[in-house]
Amino acid sequence: MEFGWSPEQTAHRERVQTLLGRELPADWDDIAVHGPGSNAQTAFSKIFCKKLADEGLLISHWPKEYGGNDMTVWDQFIMGEELWAAGEPRGPQYMNVNWIGPVLMRYGNEAQKAEYFPPIASGSVVWCQGFSEPSAGSDLASLRTKADKVEGGYLVNGAKVWTSYAGLATHCFLLARTASAGKGAIVILLLDMTSPGVQVKQIPALIGEGDIHEVFFTDVFVPAENLLGEEGQAWEIITFALQNERIGIPRYAFSRRMLDRAAEKLKADGRFENPVVRDRAGRALALCEAARLMVYRVVHQRATKAPQDAYGNLARWAIIQADHAVNDFMTEFMPEGLLGEDQMQIAHHQRAIAAGIASGAAEIQLNLAARRYLDLPSEPRRGL
Amino acid sequence: MDFDFSEDQAAILSGLEQLISSLNIEAPKDAVFSAYSHALDAELTEGGFLDITQQEGFGLLDGALIVEQLARLPVSVEAATSVLIAPSFLEDTTRRPVAILQGALTKAARFLPMAKTLLADIGDDLLRIEIPEGAVEEVETLFAYPYGRLKNPEALPSVSLGAGRLVEFRRRWRIAIAVESAGLMQSALDQVLEHVKTRQQFGRPIGSFQAIQHRLVMAAELGQAVRWLGFKAAWSDDEGDAAIAATFAQDAIPRFCTDLHQFCGAMGLTLEFPLHHWTYRLRALLGELGGSSAQAIAAADAVWGASKNV
Repeated sequence: MEFGWSPEQTAHRERVQTLLGRELPADWDDIAVHGPGSNAQTAFSKIFCKKLADEGLLISHWPKEYGGNDMTVWDQFIMGEELWAAGEPRGPQYMNVNWIGPVLMRYGNEAQKAEYFPPIASGSVVWCQGFSEPSAGSDLASLRTKADKVEGGYLVNGAKVWTSYAGLATHCFLLARTASAGKGAIVILLLDMTSPGVQVKQIPALIGEGDIHEVFFTDVFVPAENLLGEEGQAWEIITFALQNERIGIPRYAFSRRMLDRAAEKLKADGRFENPVVRDRAGRALALCEAARLMVYRVVHQRATKAPQDAYGNLARWAIIQADHAVNDFMTEFMPEGLLGEDQMQIAHHQRAIAAGIASGAAEIQLNLAARRYLDLPSEPRRGL
Repeated sequence: MDFDFSEDQAAILSGLEQLISSLNIEAPKDAVFSAYSHALDAELTEGGFLDITQQEGFGLLDGALIVEQLARLPVSVEAATSVLIAPSFLEDTTRRPVAILQGALTKAARFLPMAKTLLADIGDDLLRIEIPEGAVEEVETLFAYPYGRLKNPEALPSVSLGAGRLVEFRRRWRIAIAVESAGLMQSALDQVLEHVKTRQQFGRPIGSFQAIQHRLVMAAELGQAVRWLGFKAAWSDDEGDAAIAATFAQDAIPRFCTDLHQFCGAMGLTLEFPLHHWTYRLRALLGELGGSSAQAIAAADAVWGASKNV
């Protein structure tokens, strides 16, 4: 057991920091405040991801056979930590490389890999995730969007909601069902968002411009070759995808950066002399560093190819606590930031209030950890 | 970055486990709050576990692993100070157990009834005081450590180690608080998990109720976070890491203890039920070094520098 970085890992982190210093424009903070799903950040992601690709860093954690460089799990994570702390200049494309690509590697056929990998690898495409529905949020298995089998493919009808990045997405990783009930009837379709019958409507929200949408599907034809995996295999694929998604975002890194920034501001105007302020800042700091180590423990598990347990669910809870603590600290002691004086604080606030909701509700994480980590008995289902 | 034990670390912990197993340690059945295991103390000394940090090739983290394991036992033994703090401040490390205190020398301190040495942070100096037989009166307490108070501190000769040593002393103390808390939390949680899986109400184990499950997961997360923060602080021996670890531990202790007792109902309030052996040590650690606010301020100062406008 030890908690240091190797010289190679330190050099890798410095390389990413240098790249960020060189490639982020002077007005980057003005772009980043709108969130990863905004028009501005999505447009910039296509410039930035191309630079990452040119540097061999966009998909360097992918296997060589898919154009990557077999980058270690830790190096991939270090890069993600630095990028997220900087406001995630990959915009929505972090999702492409972190889990869409790896899922396609595992479950896609050769034709799908040939079609979808090049644009992901060049940083020119945006995917969205068609999971949640008006009546299927945490209870994802109850989704109702239909995929009726027709000659040559599927006819999709239904609606998705809370869909991040849908406004600018070119593709959707869509869950739909071929029969009325059961997890086995769910299929995953790789949908072209320009298909006739797809309508996207932005939902005005507290969490920023372009982050969440409704997506409506009216007789949308999806060719059979766009089915991912086999019919009946979707739940296995979703479980694999969520494992990559839920811990993929080192949110605490952005919170820690904002806390450092807040401390400097408070020091500059003398408010940090107040021991109550330092007390609260220190507690928020402890939560950030706790989240960091909990997540590192999960990364270590991946890096050593140890069997996955529910530690990721525990770590998600730690991340949420950190995000909220930093947000609450700044809201209480720096309310002027939310009164138009600090766009970055507003951006952090908008991310933090979604911390326990995005990527799966916090309560679901607690349920999973109760069963899989603490081995507690399941709560009996209520009789209907 | 490696969260697994090294071969050496695994060997140390295996040896410690064998030693503990050989003693057949059980939670005291009588109404004893401060169960000190002199037998364990003697075996740990004999086995060289308490001077691990002074041995070639071993460091503070290896000592922290031992302290965390010992804290899991339902009896107390003075190990954290001997392993993590005392080697830097004692000329003769065999003069143990070692008690530590912050504030006036008249205050009660953990392990003082059996201590041979007291290290006292009196604000502007760090004092080392050898404790002769009969110099301490025991203090009755709910805290599950033996507590004592010097009968006549003015009469005892002390050695001034200087105010300059206080930074290191407090840093090591903070690491000790976190690491010991981690072990205590793990055993307390294990005890309660066993209870909620077997205790039936409304025809099913109370651990199947979501209201209880969620709070137990939160408690587990607190325990794990304290563990990693404590180990990392021991590894780095860094001012900020130590204060962060102690902040998190002391901040977590109240809700952790309250929830765990809550889930055991009235049974958790009895002396027969062993939960208090861990929770009442945790509650004792809550107030050390000024409590969570003092640690949080120390963390803020260590990480962000001088609090004054610069």
